[in-house]
Amino acid sequence: MSDQHQSVYIVDDDSAVRDSLSMLLKSVGIRSRAFASGDEFLEDFDPTWAGCILLDIRMPGVSGMEVQRRLKEQDCSLPIIFITGHGDIPMAVEAMHLGASDFVQKPFHDQELLDRIQLALNENREQQDEIALKRSAKERYATLTPRETEVMNAVVLGHANKVIAMDLSLSQRTVEIHRARVMEKMRVRSLADLVKLSVLLFS
Amino acid sequence: MNPKDAHQPVPEFDETAQDALMDAFIEAIIVMDENGRIERFNQAAVDMFGMTAEEAIGGDVSALMPEPDHGKHAGYIDRYLSTRKPHIIGIGREVTARKKDGTLFPVHLAVGEVGWQGTVRFIGMIRDLTDDKLAEERRLRQHTDMITASRLTTMGEMAAAMAHEINQPLAAIANYASAAERLLEAGPENIDDVQSALARIKAQSHRAGDIIRKLRSFVRPDSASLIAADLKATIEEISALAELDARANNISLKIEIAEHMPGIVADGLQIQQVILNLLRNGIDAMIDTEPANRSLELHGYVSGADEVRIDVIDQGHGISDDVAANLFTPFYTTKPGGMGMGLAISQTIVKSHGGTLGFENNPGGGTTFYVTLPTKVT
Repeated sequence: MSDQHQSVYIVDDDSAVRDSLSMLLKSVGIRSRAFASGDEFLEDFDPTWAGCILLDIRMPGVSGMEVQRRLKEQDCSLPIIFITGHGDIPMAVEAMHLGASDFVQKPFHDQELLDRIQLALNENREQQDEIALKRSAKERYATLTPRETEVMNAVVLGHANKVIAMDLSLSQRTVEIHRARVMEKMRVRSLADLVKLSVLLFS
Repeated sequence: MNPKDAHQPVPEFDETAQDALMDAFIEAIIVMDENGRIERFNQAAVDMFGMTAEEAIGGDVSALMPEPDHGKHAGYIDRYLSTRKPHIIGIGREVTARKKDGTLFPVHLAVGEVGWQGTVRFIGMIRDLTDDKLAEERRLRQHTDMITASRLTTMGEMAAAMAHEINQPLAAIANYASAAERLLEAGPENIDDVQSALARIKAQSHRAGDIIRKLRSFVRPDSASLIAADLKATIEEISALAELDARANNISLKIEIAEHMPGIVADGLQIQQVILNLLRNGIDAMIDTEPANRSLELHGYVSGADEVRIDVIDQGHGISDDVAANLFTPFYTTKPGGMGMGLAISQTIVKSHGGTLGFENNPGGGTTFYVTLPTKVT
């Protein structure tokens, strides 16, 4: 559903590691963009990006953990897979506690690495779909009149038409008309779908 | 002043008054007889050593000292009484003291002799230097950290850095190879890409080879850095660093190097790394040793016509036959998180200096690692 193409954003100070990862990803049809440092990546970073980040934990300059921290400040939701070497496991575990998706050890087992990247991309796609769904639900919700909004909010709380009519000092018939308009504008068929949409809207 | 008060009878300055006086001292005051038996132990001493006056009085003062002073204290007193040549008596100096629970701490100790009606007693005045030492250690550590970073990278760190370096081309090679494999599977039209992957694999394996060559030259002294070195000075340069490590682990470290050692021809930095590595191993080996028994000694002496020897003696768990068989094997380690390179690299360094690195288990427990170095160029 998302219109953004997914890419793997590779951040590693070693040019051969960057180049070889790009080539490996290209061989299985995954796009990638490579950055030589945390700074370079943060400078270019755009919140509309989709995909995942392959981030070297040990880099001169801004460290992988620092990049993670700064991205978190910017509410970046891209899954992060850390690249670790010998003796970096405690750091990687800490990174996981701070919300990293995964980590892989260097040198990589190609299938393991690709599987993990695929999982991260799926995770991101679901996030992107949810974001897109939420955006469109918000757009539809915005088209409701104030009265329709009141009716919808009462309906999704499970109130019966009769109760809503009394609360809003309307006739039951009027409530029914508003309710039908809400279902139509929100493009849902059942009460259950409307409740699901409202959960997404107010989450 | 009311003249009447002056005629109040002054209470006799008895034993309790003397106790009160002693307890008023901020310093720990210990009075002992000529055999070193404790007679008095003031409140500050109680606080400092963590034992009551009752526990201390009647006991030997050497209980308050770690090895090696502990065993030798009686000798110190005898020597003083026969020679009257002061070492501590009459002069203050910094020594390490031991609490009841075995904790070692630095103190300033001054001992005075009390002659009274034909008897001889000694009075020890002790000031706890822990706080002073902490500040000094912080300063020293900042300083030594800089040294460590700039030139005294220890073997484990060096090996880890090397492993990281070698990992980069290996990771790249693995990626290029699997990319090539997948491209070939996809069809023959990708042959150009496969060729470029292969070329890059070749370049990366050369890169790995270069790193290994660098590692080799690191452990082999290049002739330019071989200079006539004074072993005593070489070791003393790192003694502060080792001392800090030892004290942090509650270990008393004693470095004893014979005077007038013949010179060696060596890469001093490499020899320092070897010695530091042996001392650190000794410290690590004593993690499970009772604090009271943790002592590490380094002896440097002439061991042959053209040979000097350094012994590093710990009181740790010793080395089992299983471990001994692999001790110098690269990447073999018994330490959690260890790299297993320290002794392997140390041995390479010592051998390339024409010396030997070995070990023997001590009869009374613990291990002695020794390094011999030739004093003449071979």
